[in-house]
Amino acid sequence: MAGGSVSECKEYLFKVLVIGELGVGKTSIIKRYVHQLFSQHYRATIGVDFALKVLHWDSKTLVRLQLWDIAGQERFGNMTRVYYKEAVGAFVVFDITRGSTFEAVSKWKHDLDSKVKLANGNPIPSVLLANKCDQKKDGSNNSSLMDNFCKEAGFLGWFETSAKDNINVDEAARFLVENILLNDKGLSYEENNGDKIKLDQQTVPAESKPGCC
Amino acid sequence: MAAEDLPSQFDVVILGTGLTESVIAAACSRVGQSVLHLDRRNYYAGNWASFTFNGLLSWIEEYKNQQEVQIAESEQVWRSLIDEGEDVMPLTSVDSTISNLEVFSYASEEEEKDETKTPLTSCQPVNAETESEETKGGSTEGQDTCTGDDATESNGKTQNEEHQEQHTSEIAEPSQSQDEKEPQPISSPADPPVEVEKKITYQKLLKEGRRFNIDLVSKLMYSRGALVDLLIKSNVSRYAEFKNISRILTCRNGKVEQVPCSRADVFASKQLTVVEKRMLMKFLTFCLDFEQHPEEYQDYSEKPFSEFLKSKKLTENLQDFILHSIAMVTQQTLTEEGLKATQHFLRCLGRYGNTPFLFPLYGLGEIPQCFCRMCAVFGGIYCLRHSVQCLVVDKGSNKVKAVIDTRGQKIGCSHFVVEDSYIRDEQRQSTAYRQISRAVLITDRSVLPSESDQQISLVTIPPVGSSAPAVRMVELCSSSMTCMPGTYLVHLTCSSSGTAQEDLAPVVSQLFDVPAIPGEEPSGGSEERSKPAVLWVMYFNMRDTSAQDSSGYSLPSNVHVCTGPDSGLGSNYSIKLAESVFHHLLPDEDFCPPAPNPEDIIYDGDGPQAEGSGFDESNNTEEDKSQAEEEKSPSTESSEPAEMDSVTQETPLDTSPPSEE
Repeated sequence: MAGGSVSECKEYLFKVLVIGELGVGKTSIIKRYVHQLFSQHYRATIGVDFALKVLHWDSKTLVRLQLWDIAGQERFGNMTRVYYKEAVGAFVVFDITRGSTFEAVSKWKHDLDSKVKLANGNPIPSVLLANKCDQKKDGSNNSSLMDNFCKEAGFLGWFETSAKDNINVDEAARFLVENILLNDKGLSYEENNGDKIKLDQQTVPAESKPGCC
Repeated sequence: MAAEDLPSQFDVVILGTGLTESVIAAACSRVGQSVLHLDRRNYYAGNWASFTFNGLLSWIEEYKNQQEVQIAESEQVWRSLIDEGEDVMPLTSVDSTISNLEVFSYASEEEEKDETKTPLTSCQPVNAETESEETKGGSTEGQDTCTGDDATESNGKTQNEEHQEQHTSEIAEPSQSQDEKEPQPISSPADPPVEVEKKITYQKLLKEGRRFNIDLVSKLMYSRGALVDLLIKSNVSRYAEFKNISRILTCRNGKVEQVPCSRADVFASKQLTVVEKRMLMKFLTFCLDFEQHPEEYQDYSEKPFSEFLKSKKLTENLQDFILHSIAMVTQQTLTEEGLKATQHFLRCLGRYGNTPFLFPLYGLGEIPQCFCRMCAVFGGIYCLRHSVQCLVVDKGSNKVKAVIDTRGQKIGCSHFVVEDSYIRDEQRQSTAYRQISRAVLITDRSVLPSESDQQISLVTIPPVGSSAPAVRMVELCSSSMTCMPGTYLVHLTCSSSGTAQEDLAPVVSQLFDVPAIPGEEPSGGSEERSKPAVLWVMYFNMRDTSAQDSSGYSLPSNVHVCTGPDSGLGSNYSIKLAESVFHHLLPDEDFCPPAPNPEDIIYDGDGPQAEGSGFDESNNTEEDKSQAEEEKSPSTESSEPAEMDSVTQETPLDTSPPSEE
């Protein structure tokens, strides 16, 4: 999914998955990050494929981040390959107030690793998000346990986040993108596949869909 | 991922995730119907599925096991769920659409040696640990069908069984066949990275198994066909990318040659004489608007197209090209149908490239999944490995009012859509089926090497005798994302007259180098051989139910049967069927209106008071639906500050130019 370079500025398009149990706050995190919004009101994710965040990474790098929510109703874990296809990074989210959602993290991670890989066969970089940290009850600090868990499960790292209070969401995203960019330096995703065709409605302006006919 | 009970009522329950069912699911969900979409298999797309190499081996195992197991069905479970005035109609739990499956491997069984030059994995250190990791990972990957851990092992068994069945006395010792044949250049010089690659062993196929996406059904997409039109109209096309078929080949007198079909091809052709070029151009120009010149073909309207071609004084060469490779019809096809087919072909030319056809990256199995994703995005619920045991039929109205799923839950529905293979024989008028013969080959190079080794070719093979069927072959290169670099994936398809092996093995041995003994490598290096070597081949028959119509079943009136894939090259049949079922279900609704582009969606964060504002009419169904969902959803604890999602769209659905950025 690497983009081509336009003059001096290098442009990337990264597909990032956001997975985890129902109600852990996946959509809230995406909205907080992309739209700077938070609402207490739950709505199942209807009609939305992904949200787009444009990052001016540095003076020479533009990153377009597509954050793919799981459609609310794929909650039985049977996502289509369309969802996983060509993803280059992932957030696995759990809710620190509900232990069962943490127990499901390993399942989600395993599912992720079995369904998508980088071009070189390695797992895609993934970051664990302990969401709803604004509701943390005890003051206990499990950070060394969490570090170990991440090491064993193959996460790059973990963040305590709160979509509500806007804690660590940007930091987690920055951390993941850094790692995706590191991977990108060593890999070409496209190989010799330049003549791919997208089918689009003629009414859509060509500039938004490079390579269309 | 947790197991939880499903809601107890849906508008539509759909069983089977093949192309037709998936299009119906997306269409219903898109206009606000609640959809439950199930499949008894652990992968999407049913007989339309594509598999990684390891996934395919597991599919083969499963097929073999199913041959042996007769599932004992316990009726007791559902008896208690049936009320007064209800009847039960059981479905079948056995899939009998695949038959005559045979597998032969000719790739070397040699252990993979750790080479320092393994270009595909050069980014990581090669050591024992990562190797085994990869093999293991590869087998669970992709469609993921399978319990990957024993894929490798079970596969070994498959091979052995095959050897025994076919050549009991001459099982090749794995070590015999590979003495000295050291690194052979496998691909053309156009592809330098693989040049140093050595021959492809069976271990290599397993290790790189995830790079394969092997379709059970082989079809192409006409660039102005019903499927492409629907993908564009519905915006489902955003989930897939495509490649143009780069050339059309034919096999005449044992020789593979390119069919000139576009104007440029015709003039560039070296096979055609100047006179032939002129004749062909004239004829093709006539076909483009043949309806305007009825006098040209009137006399032949009752006669075959082949005779019409003769009457046009076309050379034999040209007649063959037009009949077999452009119109792709038989000797018996009537003139007007032949003209229409030729016209359709010509109209599809040039929309996306020099041939009329497209192929989806990652295989055809991608397409049903694209529609499933669209269905899920609009609220459809998906469960694999989950089927329906029986239908609950209301005696008075003879309508299905509920289904009982394989977990024993009774789920109410207004309509039930089901793939043909779930229907029991008792509900059919006839159990005589047509069959499709299929062969899938992994080969080491193209049947017609050219400057580029990344060609996707359609090869039309005219019938050998008068009774033999015409065979259609599609050769896919690695950039179609269906096979590992250095190999080609070849699909052969024809309407069956015998078993797949009887129908197709003669064509395979005509075009490819097939060793006499499975397990044995083809003799000679790839340089010396004149034909590509077959590394692995699978034959099977698939039931073709496309001739059935609704009168062929005795079922309640709100049960809609979707027949499986037909033997044709395009998917028009399946798309038209989906559209007709949809209009039967929802006569007043639009079929697959365009979904909004994610970039056009504005998140409205003002909470409940903002609800409804900014929604135009076409969005109301979604809004209603999401509210309904909210109530239904079991884990929407009211106290939880959780996800919100009020979605507004800035522009009307159908004109949607991106408004942001």
